[in-house]
Amino acid sequence: MTEFIQTLILGLLIGGVYALLASGLTLIFGVMRVINIAHGALLILGAFLTYSLWTATGLDPLAAILITSPAMLAFGWVLYVATVGRIRSAPVGASVLLTFGLALVFEGVMGLIWGNTSHSVRPEYFNTSFNIGQVFLPKGQVYGGALAVVVLGGLYAILNYTWLGRAIRASAVNPQGAELVGVNVGAVAALTFAIGVASAGAGGSIVSVLYPFLPGSHYQWIARLLGIIVLGGMGSLPGAALGALALGVAETMTVTYISPAWATAVPYVFVIVVLLLRPQGLMGSKLREDVATA
Amino acid sequence: MTARSGVLRSPWTAVIAAGFLFLLLFPVASDDTYYQNMIMLSMVFAIGAVGLNVITGYAGYVSLGQGAFLGLGAYTAGILSNDVGSNPFVWMPVAGLVGVVVAGFLGVVAMRARGTAFVILTIALLFLVQIIATNWDSLTNGTSGISLPLPSWSVDYQNWPFYYTFMALLGASLLMSWWIRRSKFGMGLIAIREDEDKAATVGVNTPIYKIFGFVASAVFVSMAGAVYGYYIGFTDPSGMFNILLSVQIILSLLLGGRATLWGPVLGAFIVEPLNEISNNEFGGGNARLLIFGGLLALVVLLMPRGIVPTGERWLRALRTRGKAGLVGERLDGRIELQERAPAPAPSEAAAEAGPLLEVKGLEKRFGGLRAVDGSTFAVPEGSITALIGPNGSGKTTVFNLIDGTMTANAGEVWFAGRRIDRLRPWRRAHLGLGRTFQITRLFRQMTVLENVVAPLRSFRLRQLAAGAVSGHEAERAQELLDFVGMRKYRDQPAFELSFGQQKLVELAQLLMLDPKLIMLDEPAGGINPTLLERIGETIRELNSQGKTFLIVEHNMPFVLGLCHPVLVLARGQTIARGTPDEIQEDPKVLDAYLGEDFRLEQPVEA
Repeated sequence: MTEFIQTLILGLLIGGVYALLASGLTLIFGVMRVINIAHGALLILGAFLTYSLWTATGLDPLAAILITSPAMLAFGWVLYVATVGRIRSAPVGASVLLTFGLALVFEGVMGLIWGNTSHSVRPEYFNTSFNIGQVFLPKGQVYGGALAVVVLGGLYAILNYTWLGRAIRASAVNPQGAELVGVNVGAVAALTFAIGVASAGAGGSIVSVLYPFLPGSHYQWIARLLGIIVLGGMGSLPGAALGALALGVAETMTVTYISPAWATAVPYVFVIVVLLLRPQGLMGSKLREDVATA
Repeated sequence: MTARSGVLRSPWTAVIAAGFLFLLLFPVASDDTYYQNMIMLSMVFAIGAVGLNVITGYAGYVSLGQGAFLGLGAYTAGILSNDVGSNPFVWMPVAGLVGVVVAGFLGVVAMRARGTAFVILTIALLFLVQIIATNWDSLTNGTSGISLPLPSWSVDYQNWPFYYTFMALLGASLLMSWWIRRSKFGMGLIAIREDEDKAATVGVNTPIYKIFGFVASAVFVSMAGAVYGYYIGFTDPSGMFNILLSVQIILSLLLGGRATLWGPVLGAFIVEPLNEISNNEFGGGNARLLIFGGLLALVVLLMPRGIVPTGERWLRALRTRGKAGLVGERLDGRIELQERAPAPAPSEAAAEAGPLLEVKGLEKRFGGLRAVDGSTFAVPEGSITALIGPNGSGKTTVFNLIDGTMTANAGEVWFAGRRIDRLRPWRRAHLGLGRTFQITRLFRQMTVLENVVAPLRSFRLRQLAAGAVSGHEAERAQELLDFVGMRKYRDQPAFELSFGQQKLVELAQLLMLDPKLIMLDEPAGGINPTLLERIGETIRELNSQGKTFLIVEHNMPFVLGLCHPVLVLARGQTIARGTPDEIQEDPKVLDAYLGEDFRLEQPVEA
């Protein structure tokens, strides 16, 4: 029973980190119907930046969020203007292929800069735990999960209580309508993309403490995040949060009760089962397509 | 342009013949194994890309999992030749079968996953297969992989058996791709790419087409995988299911040109040498990532059509420079087949005939909104029935529920004495239900003629193999284009037509189904008065030939002069039914839609 509770709590904590990472991905999809396959590579980039900051200055990796997020925000904006923004009217597949190409380029560049070996960031609390009764919770996991929830809360606050947030949501629901009432949809899209990439940067800082990483880790991360947003319903933020917690718990349960080797398969099984049984996901809605094709 | 002349007489013919001879003779003429190896790998990726072209080029489903079939083939051959015995070549057909089964499964899942969801699915499939190959130790020997037997033939023959098997498989793939493009099957796949929902409403059984498409795309690449595994002598999860193999295949396809016959081959023979250079000159690894990734991004950004289509457009632009297009030409108001006797106005009797279509208590909710809220009405056989009502009253949704584009939350739809509300859209089309869309939805990249022959009145396996535009079907399509006055435009791509012209072509397309009931969604919207008159005449003439109509329209003079009975929809319910005169007097209708001061001076003779 203790083992079960410990597994559950660890699953929820890591689910919180997943939720932050998946939110950026689903937000971008919601506004511009673009699946940013480079999201995984961008989060690994965030982790490497954190690593360099930590080795160079000793800065706590979780505090590094204050630097990685703004840096990745700027990078995301440039990336949008230079690439993704140029093919906004192209068919759906185009943006997937483009961002996939970008992911490979980032992987190659990171390999050249940091090398293709496994890295990890180990602050002094890395090997210590909180002990509550018989439940052991590593401090890194607890701090990381809590921080992810805080950043995610900030993201929700921006979306729900600011003009920018309303503009983003309006652009997601009805771009033409938003344009008509004075929202510059192009600029909002650029900013949304940048915010999504910033969240990947923040998530990358947290991930650097929790898992070892190398440039090629991005495949596994993007697969995991895609599994989450498919499960939650593509474009739905609450869905992404729910899907993230579900995946976090499912993975840790698989590690504990089946085998670590099969845990990596969980997101793929999610994708296939969800698309077979409920393609719109948990919280997604079916869009009315016949009037939107004009 | 027929497919035959496209193959035999294109400017590429000489290049292709030379390329074929070169490939055929190269291993005999030269024993340079470096180049032999490069050509063989180019052929493997060409086989993958030609197959991928069937679903990604023709049907528009982008897949990043094509490399998985290469690995599945290699593993099948490796496991069987080790555990059962005999030469891996013997197991090539079994490898093809394994690919077919997995692709069929993919097709079943893809019944409901479109666009981005499908791409995600293919990535998931690739990684899942990789994990299974890693973890299923007893079968696959895990991460250590499987060694395949050494070639059994004399060294005098070098790699010829591999080489010529790859060449034969490439030839077979190309033959298949060529055949698909000119068959009804390929036409259906292209219709799915252009507009999948629309394809279903004109009778294309989309899931079956997609499943067959996936199977076709996987069969030869899986067989090539078996030979590939034998050739390199070893298969392991990280090498065989490396996503970069899939990237190389899709990059070849994109670079060469999607939906073309030779584009994927050209692309493969460009990308594989680049791959070799990055491996040999720059140490592979990161350089390979930068080259593949950078090229992929650049192709999407700068040359999304690929080399072959871009080249062909360029040639066409050179040839037709200075010639005026046909598109802007004024429609001749007098294009009529023959002097038609004025069709009789729909009689009182028609309006009272038995129902062809009956809708009972139909309901559709979007979240909390009840778009259709218990609507009940009947369309008498042989009538021209109008469905009018304010914007947002649920008219188009009613259409979507009747033709099966959407599923109702409650209620029944009966057509010709048969309950149809659980049938899929193409089944309803086969029964004799046809509709047009408020905003025209032609298959944009197809020609006008191809658009008109695309509809299918039934589904039979045999029909998949039939020529895309052939025989009496083509004649019938010509007649229909004459009927709507669009014959001159038969070879224009649909997207070049004006909105009004598209409406006429969509009508001809619909008539190809020979439907009993024709549902028109705002036929008069955005149409000039001359054209409108012709549409009115056409409707009357078809009606006198026995077609029943259900028309949604806001143009009151048009509706009231043409239709009887008139149904009025408001807030998702049918609030009135009657003759045009009765409707104009009905206080409920005046209140909900027409307005107090509405009075048509005199019904217009449409």
